[in-house]
Amino acid sequence: MNKQKWIDYALSKGFDSFEIYQNNLEEKNITYYQREMESYVKSHVLGIALRGLYQGKMASISTEDGSDENMEKLIATMIEQAQATTSSDSGVILEPMTTEEATKENRFIRPDASSIDKTFKEIEDKFYAYDERVFQVTDLFYTEQASVREISNSREMHVKDASQVQAVIAGVAVKEGDEIKNSFNVELLYDVNEFDTDAFVKKAADKALNKLHATSIPSGTYPVVIEKDAMTSLFTAFSGIFSGDLIGKGISPLKDKLNEKIFADNITVIDDPKNTDALVICNYDDEGYPTSRKTLVDQGVFKVMLHSTSSAMRMQMESTGNGFKQGYDSPVGVRPKNCCIVPGEKSFDELLEEMNEGLVIEGFQGLHAGINMASTNFSLQCSGYYVKDGKRDKSVTLITAAANFLELMKDAKAVGNDLEWKTETIACPSILFKGIAISGE
Amino acid sequence: MLEKKKLEEYLNRCMDSNADFAEIYEEKELSETINMLNGSVENIFTKNTFGVGIRLYKGLQAVYGYANETDDETLIDLIDDLRDALGKEEKSSDVTLERVEYENRHPVRIRFDEVSLADKTDLLKRANDAAKAVDERIVKVDGTLLNVRQEVQISNSEGKLISDTRVRTRMMVTAYSQEGNNFQSGKDTPGGGMGLEFFETTKPEDIGKEAARVALVNLVAKDCPSGKMPVVIDSGFGGVIFHEACGHALEATSVAKNQSVFSGKFGQKIASDVVSAVDDGTIPNAWGSQNIDDEGNFQKRRVLIKDGILTSYMIDRLNGRRMHEESTSSSRRESYMYEPTSRMSNTFICEGNSEFEELFEGIEKGLYAAKMGGGSVNPQTGEFNFAVLEGYMIENGKITYPVKGASLIGKGNEILFNIEKVGKTVRRGQGMCGSMSGSIPTDVGQPPIKVSSIIVGGTANE
Repeated sequence: MNKQKWIDYALSKGFDSFEIYQNNLEEKNITYYQREMESYVKSHVLGIALRGLYQGKMASISTEDGSDENMEKLIATMIEQAQATTSSDSGVILEPMTTEEATKENRFIRPDASSIDKTFKEIEDKFYAYDERVFQVTDLFYTEQASVREISNSREMHVKDASQVQAVIAGVAVKEGDEIKNSFNVELLYDVNEFDTDAFVKKAADKALNKLHATSIPSGTYPVVIEKDAMTSLFTAFSGIFSGDLIGKGISPLKDKLNEKIFADNITVIDDPKNTDALVICNYDDEGYPTSRKTLVDQGVFKVMLHSTSSAMRMQMESTGNGFKQGYDSPVGVRPKNCCIVPGEKSFDELLEEMNEGLVIEGFQGLHAGINMASTNFSLQCSGYYVKDGKRDKSVTLITAAANFLELMKDAKAVGNDLEWKTETIACPSILFKGIAISGE
Repeated sequence: MLEKKKLEEYLNRCMDSNADFAEIYEEKELSETINMLNGSVENIFTKNTFGVGIRLYKGLQAVYGYANETDDETLIDLIDDLRDALGKEEKSSDVTLERVEYENRHPVRIRFDEVSLADKTDLLKRANDAAKAVDERIVKVDGTLLNVRQEVQISNSEGKLISDTRVRTRMMVTAYSQEGNNFQSGKDTPGGGMGLEFFETTKPEDIGKEAARVALVNLVAKDCPSGKMPVVIDSGFGGVIFHEACGHALEATSVAKNQSVFSGKFGQKIASDVVSAVDDGTIPNAWGSQNIDDEGNFQKRRVLIKDGILTSYMIDRLNGRRMHEESTSSSRRESYMYEPTSRMSNTFICEGNSEFEELFEGIEKGLYAAKMGGGSVNPQTGEFNFAVLEGYMIENGKITYPVKGASLIGKGNEILFNIEKVGKTVRRGQGMCGSMSGSIPTDVGQPPIKVSSIIVGGTANE
């Protein structure tokens, strides 16, 4: 793509400023089933997104064909878009900005096909040897992704960065009598020669085996520890409440709540796209705005909301460098990046001891549907185990947990020290809550 | 799209390997999303997608590659990579393609890309104004108009060359209601497999009013009680119960590998006598319809359950090999970036004999789920969940007061036997279904049904 040609043409057609965003993604996925390679997927996709400010209105479009013959048509479409847009909070195409850049060492070493073959056969054999109740290795999946992001604009910005990820995913089913349970495990694969297949198999198999003989429990209000992975998924589902876009539009439950107490004293939330503990770091957001560390909630008090240039303009504030896209083919939105609840001091076992009797929730299902972002009410299928005298008791399944998220977060009694950054850009430690409504038998 | 001669050349190159089957899937899609908040056009985003996916089979092994650069060099490199993964073999293939012509079952009258943006934003404005006019407690209205035009061309080593154009239109309106600190929402999200003529029968004003109505109901709704109880689930999107509790577990993706609660249950009773269910990808201009599936086979009507007996799974080509069964034309994918697999289209429980009022008879305490949200399922264990967006308590056979924050959970293989009564009028609702081959449009549907017992998750404990 001749970027300068496109920029010059857009400016000649009346655009005040113009941006070209490119994402070059190479991906390889390999699936094994019954010790044989079942599927191999290879891809190379170049995605292009264009944004331009035309008579004070922002137009945006994505394409997978950046050839010059498309130029006139796409830019004409953008002009029509800008003319039909009525909101004046358009955001800006930025001049180059500088920041103290963080760096993260790339520890991923590409495995060759024979090492994957050897490792997967070893994993499958170890699953079946681990416990006679393992009756099927349902999924064995390797994925590697390498992407390069580039942002160039008519104001002479040029931002470029790259990221790489490699991971192994396994699914296992266990059976006892007629009862079948399953589980999945995802681990990053830095160096296939150092990958601990025993630990990987143990983690996935134990997770599934522990679910056997699970029963429901009577409906009632129970003290709960929401285990770190489940807490991460719940917090992620509600992370939109910090969006300055939704707050500015008046459709976030945190509108008018800045500097008010929204969570318990022991909850502090930090968003830091440069946090090198996280899988991928970003020195600039998808608008080229420098990212920074922000304390969104400080000891329960709502201090900072997240902004892109557009949402910041609406509220006459500054961008926080959180203008991120979901993919190159989506508009810039407001999203947290490497956001976490700051860990406390108690270990997971100490949280159970403090609870003494109650429930541990290990996973929520249906998070895409069972939450209401306006009211923050949720009612979700979940599973886990009962705790008696501070120790694990019977496994529990087919129950729901229902609460109001903001009310629940005010009831946090203790925060665990087990925060762990994995593949997600949001992470939480385990948290002990006073009580949650459980529906079961 | 690639020329026939070029496709033949590529397919022959694919087959000069250990592959026993090759397929080229080409896709060109234009989609447009217009968002309006309180009458102001906030954002318009246009997406142009173009790419090619190439798949080779050798027995039960599949290799797949995709790219959005379609020059000779890129595609030949891709094919050679895929051949290497299966193992090359010098053989001389001679694929000759023959184009399959057919009558379009889903004609479009008003193409969105031939209508001005001003006319399209006016549709959203009509929905917005109608919602705001319902009640002064409607404080915000967020509306999105989605228009999609997807063109596909599928060719394979068996000589098939076939094309389809899929057009979709959907309006999604969320109304926000507020009274003091009580902030609630309601939504309505109808769509169809047609152009903008969709709004000649589904008026934007009605979409806005429906979203506002639900938002106002939730403003006065009480917390929903918890526990096992009888539930009446209304028609339309209520059909998500069948989609989650049963539909996914009838897809060959999980059945073929014995990873479904319904594996090996063909011809057996899996539901109560009153349950018959269908997956029908042929319904003219329906949200989940296509002329052909994403392997180029003509879409079909599949009777999944007849009077409680399992009569068909949904099968794609590859899983068909594993099951020693023919494809049921059920192969679908979000885009060229996904390998296709068995998926649902328009799936619904068929009409029964019970009057609406009969469904409530004898219920001392239960829930009437008037409007459902989405859900999910674990096909291997059958455990499913879904959300209730508008609910009411049933007391002594009568609907009494609205409740909020409820979800329903259960096990698919058990819940189908608990469907006690089925009403007379089927309605369908539109959704996006996520699974291995991406997010695809599907209709769910049913008449109103009575489920004798299901776990209701709520916040009020008694």
